[in-house]
Amino acid sequence: MAVDYNSKPLLKVEGLKQYFPISRTFTVKAVEGVSFEIYPGETYGLVGESGSGKSTIGRSVIRLYDPTDGKIIFDGTDISKKLSRGDTKKLRTQMQMIFQDPMSSLNPRKKVEDIIGEGLDIHKNYKNQAERSEKIKAILKKVGLAPEHASRYPHQFSGGQRQRVGIARALIMNPKLIIADECISALDVSIQAQVVNLMKDIQEETGSAYLFIAHDLSMVKYISDRIGVLHLGHLLETGTTDEIFQNPIHPYTKSLLSAIPEPNPMVEKNRVAESYDYKTSGINYNLGVEHHVSGSHYVKCTDEEFEKWTK
Amino acid sequence: MEEKDLIMKIRDLDISFKTTAGVVHAIRGINIDLERGQTISVVGESGSGKSVTMRAAMGILAKNATVESGTIEFTYKNDNGSMETVDILKKDKKWIRKNINGKRIAMVFQDPMTSLDPTMNIGKQIMEGMRWHYNTSKEEAHKKAVELLKEVGIEDAEKRMKQYPHQLSGGMRQRVVIAIALACDPELLICDEPTTALDVTIQAKIIELIRREQKKRGISVIYITHDLGVVAKVADFVNVMYAGKIVEKGTVNEVFYDPKHPYTWGLLSAMPDLNTDDDRLYTIPGSPPNLLHEVPGDAFAPRNKFALVIDDKKEPPMFKISETHYAATWLLDERAPKVEMPIELKNRLERMKKEAERYGS
Repeated sequence: MAVDYNSKPLLKVEGLKQYFPISRTFTVKAVEGVSFEIYPGETYGLVGESGSGKSTIGRSVIRLYDPTDGKIIFDGTDISKKLSRGDTKKLRTQMQMIFQDPMSSLNPRKKVEDIIGEGLDIHKNYKNQAERSEKIKAILKKVGLAPEHASRYPHQFSGGQRQRVGIARALIMNPKLIIADECISALDVSIQAQVVNLMKDIQEETGSAYLFIAHDLSMVKYISDRIGVLHLGHLLETGTTDEIFQNPIHPYTKSLLSAIPEPNPMVEKNRVAESYDYKTSGINYNLGVEHHVSGSHYVKCTDEEFEKWTK
Repeated sequence: MEEKDLIMKIRDLDISFKTTAGVVHAIRGINIDLERGQTISVVGESGSGKSVTMRAAMGILAKNATVESGTIEFTYKNDNGSMETVDILKKDKKWIRKNINGKRIAMVFQDPMTSLDPTMNIGKQIMEGMRWHYNTSKEEAHKKAVELLKEVGIEDAEKRMKQYPHQLSGGMRQRVVIAIALACDPELLICDEPTTALDVTIQAKIIELIRREQKKRGISVIYITHDLGVVAKVADFVNVMYAGKIVEKGTVNEVFYDPKHPYTWGLLSAMPDLNTDDDRLYTIPGSPPNLLHEVPGDAFAPRNKFALVIDDKKEPPMFKISETHYAATWLLDERAPKVEMPIELKNRLERMKKEAERYGS
């Protein structure tokens, strides 16, 4: 589906900061002034290594945490401050999350129909039981499961099927934005492809936007329209998938791209992945400001660095 | 044919598991050769039996497993320096524990959080094997452990010795696991999905570490993985497993540039390709067979669009393609119709070859 970039962004994150005070003298600065936008029907991929703050951003956006500073505007409403009752309801229905490990994110003592229908139950989105089961069956079909799966328990499914249940659970509220937090990392390569294809099909049909959080760039490339590269809480580089893959500017992005092993033995045997070490690189993320490269491609760095890297 | 210096020779291995649902025939006749100093990799989907095979080689199968037939011959240097060959399946647990596990065959597991003891400090865990197998004195073991930590790229090794696993990051933990595996100078290192739980950047570093240590020490490595990119980087030989059988084996170049089995075609096509603009990823239709039931004919036939009539009736033997390259598919029989690999994959392989040439020159 073509994304309309002239329309109003569905989600606008501005200077988001998320700190976690550990003790009186020590604060973990997990997210350090991150800004990005997601347009309706778009997929935005957030990539970075573990500890870079990508999951934290997802959780701050859906308000599992209270943001320390910054603005989060979702569908015209500011959701970064204290939420009114109406706003909470809107947030909890129109934004949904798919988690990493489908085994630990699904209640093992509930049947699949009750896991999927929980949102419906809470928000009373049906008139009678028949309508409820009708809705659940329709969503099961959409994610490629059979109606008879509704009365089973999570442990009776394989990993890929379980993740389909996780997707069905998110979809049933017809959300405008789905936050997929490493939703394919725990799966086999062949199953990852199935889930990614399914998510693309669903987006085609429902037009919902995705915030796709992952560390595997090769899969992110397939699903994302735009990508943001995150390291140590800073959004270092953002742009369309082509811009990032064809013309990476930041050394960290380059090292991420070169770390992907290619299934080409003669090339791979001789290639050494570019390494990147923040401590010895002499780059200070806190000094960086956004530099425009081209189109929607931005890099966070100082003036001298920008000149050096784009030469 | 000249006699090769084989460190491990697995013949007709057949293993089944007793479960509440019935007997699961997990391994259905496997042959693997590993030469000294080589790296082989075993690839396949989860449930294809790759981990079970290697657990059998370590003598650490689960209690409900039965070895129906087969031999696993392991050749090692005895304490007095002479070479000795044993069939691991015929030895009892105690003997294996004393002579094989950790001492001559070491294993690196997938998840470093669960394979390290959370209540024991790093130093003690590294020293444990040396103290147990070789009666090394505490001082010497400590010295060696610090050296090992430095070798696997951990800074402040002295300080780290006293730390506990939860104080380290995932990549650091996996480095510690590798240090433990190397502590007793094993002759064979089995890596069971060593990087699956890690980030790509750390994965690249860990793989390079294992490769460096292998070169330095001249040990043999078996790599179990489902990531073909990793295989391309590390392996000399590849064994592709499906439903408890090896369906294709050969040198890494043979399997990657000239695959013959439809399952290998599927696996290669399913790898995300960074050089195309395809919108959809290829997936192999269907799912692996349930090994609770006996599989007649070729186990891959129901998912194979090139399947022949005979595939449902008779299991294909290993067809020889070259001295080192074998595949089990009826498509290689001389009576079979000529079937080419899918055109998309063919184009991709052509592109890969071109790129490889560019790299070679």
